[in-house]
Amino acid sequence: MELSSILPIARQELTVAIRNKWTVIFAFVFGSLVLAISYFGTMTAGDIGFQGFNRTTASLLSLVLYLIPLVALMMGTQSFLRNEGEDEMLFSQPVSRSEVLAGKLLGLFAAMTTATFVGFGLGGIVIATQTDAEGFLGYPVFVLLSLILALVFLSLSMLAAVASQRRTKAFGIALLLWFFFVILYDLLVLGGSLLLKERSANYFIFASLFGNPVDMVRVAGLLSMKGGEVFGAAGAALLKFLGGFGQAIAALVAGLIVWTVLPILASFRLLRDQDI
Amino acid sequence: MIEVEGLTKTFREFSAVAGVSFTVRQGETFALLGPNGSGKSTILKSIAGLIKPSSGGISIGGIDALKRPQEARKLLSYLPQRVGFHDCLTAQEVLKFYCRLRKLPPSRIEDVVHGSEFNFNGFSEKRVSELSGGMKQKLGLAVACLADAPILLLDEPTVSLDPAGAIAFRKFLNSLKEKGKTIVFTSHVLADVEMLADRVAVLVDGKLTALVTIEELRLRIADKRQSLEEIYLDYAKTS
Repeated sequence: MELSSILPIARQELTVAIRNKWTVIFAFVFGSLVLAISYFGTMTAGDIGFQGFNRTTASLLSLVLYLIPLVALMMGTQSFLRNEGEDEMLFSQPVSRSEVLAGKLLGLFAAMTTATFVGFGLGGIVIATQTDAEGFLGYPVFVLLSLILALVFLSLSMLAAVASQRRTKAFGIALLLWFFFVILYDLLVLGGSLLLKERSANYFIFASLFGNPVDMVRVAGLLSMKGGEVFGAAGAALLKFLGGFGQAIAALVAGLIVWTVLPILASFRLLRDQDI
Repeated sequence: MIEVEGLTKTFREFSAVAGVSFTVRQGETFALLGPNGSGKSTILKSIAGLIKPSSGGISIGGIDALKRPQEARKLLSYLPQRVGFHDCLTAQEVLKFYCRLRKLPPSRIEDVVHGSEFNFNGFSEKRVSELSGGMKQKLGLAVACLADAPILLLDEPTVSLDPAGAIAFRKFLNSLKEKGKTIVFTSHVLADVEMLADRVAVLVDGKLTALVTIEELRLRIADKRQSLEEIYLDYAKTS
């Protein structure tokens, strides 16, 4: 693969995402979320006003785990789907099919990164001016994890679009993926663990963490922001299972890399044998 | 320049192209003529590397196009039947994108848009969404001409053009012919075939039923006092 072939495609994809207002809308949504959560987050306690980074980041993490996969899947599926005349022009150029997919993925990721940086960045600046800087270091980690999650689901959207080819089927698969990883998976794991003995159930739950990138980002976020103590005894057992704090973070990052790379490789392989 | 050997393409049970073989010589203008579903576009797309043949071989400039598709595609430019670009981009941005993709100097855009006999002027700053079907086709042709590749593959190139556009287009293709370009095109428009082609392959139901020079066709028109349409129908019937 040649970077000189990938970059023009990525650049065009970014331009299209910005012109189609996707990036602007998501930046606005992300920014609004940060400010709303920070300002209204303690309303139920009868308090109103900006909270610091610690509380805001923890609340945002839960919301982002729903929102980012959905945004990435929709945006990615829309872009990776076939557009007859456009694809015929593009794929008849002296570039490989993998380079086209890689370029599109890079461009979409750049668009998501722009939206995330602008939205969370501006929101973060407002919080920083209104509150103290306590817990500030956790905020960039949260933004980084959001981006990793976006990349995982962009690559999954690529696989959904390449595998299905048809618009309705591709969006159906994308929504199914979102539902499975964000809603259903944890219920299945909990249900499955009830069928096992306590020790086996623990191992099953810990191992199942690596079967869902959303859970991996959730655990990585909580670990990196608050350390293992946030989970109590379960957290201590998880850290023991993974070999300690450093190893846990490394294993989760490695797992997320695998979750990004495998769908990309599968998409390359599928598209190689397809007719355009 | 292009060798197609025993090309077969099957979509599930349907045989779109069945064992078609022909050679296109350098500098030749070669027409693929046939009714809808005769396999013309499938052959052209196979040469462009968009469709994987079920069997057979394609060689472009001595390069095995099935084993080394990227290298083979450096020698050609392809214009699809239905041209498509992102609606939110301007024509100029589309041209710049393909210029970058083919690693060409930006000056090529000026050469193509203003230096050719085919009038590409007047739409470079317009967004694709504002272009008519004919203008999009012109933009597609401009993209295809950017690389100055020795081979041009054109799928029903005059289908979206108005009569004036079609005449200008034929004139433009003739100028490319004079420059020694090898051109392969599909068409329903027999006038295009008669005016542009050196040789014609007639396809019916995915099979090659005739491979004749345009002179042979003209002789037959003179001898039998038949029109080109009638001769074409004869070929189709006898297949």
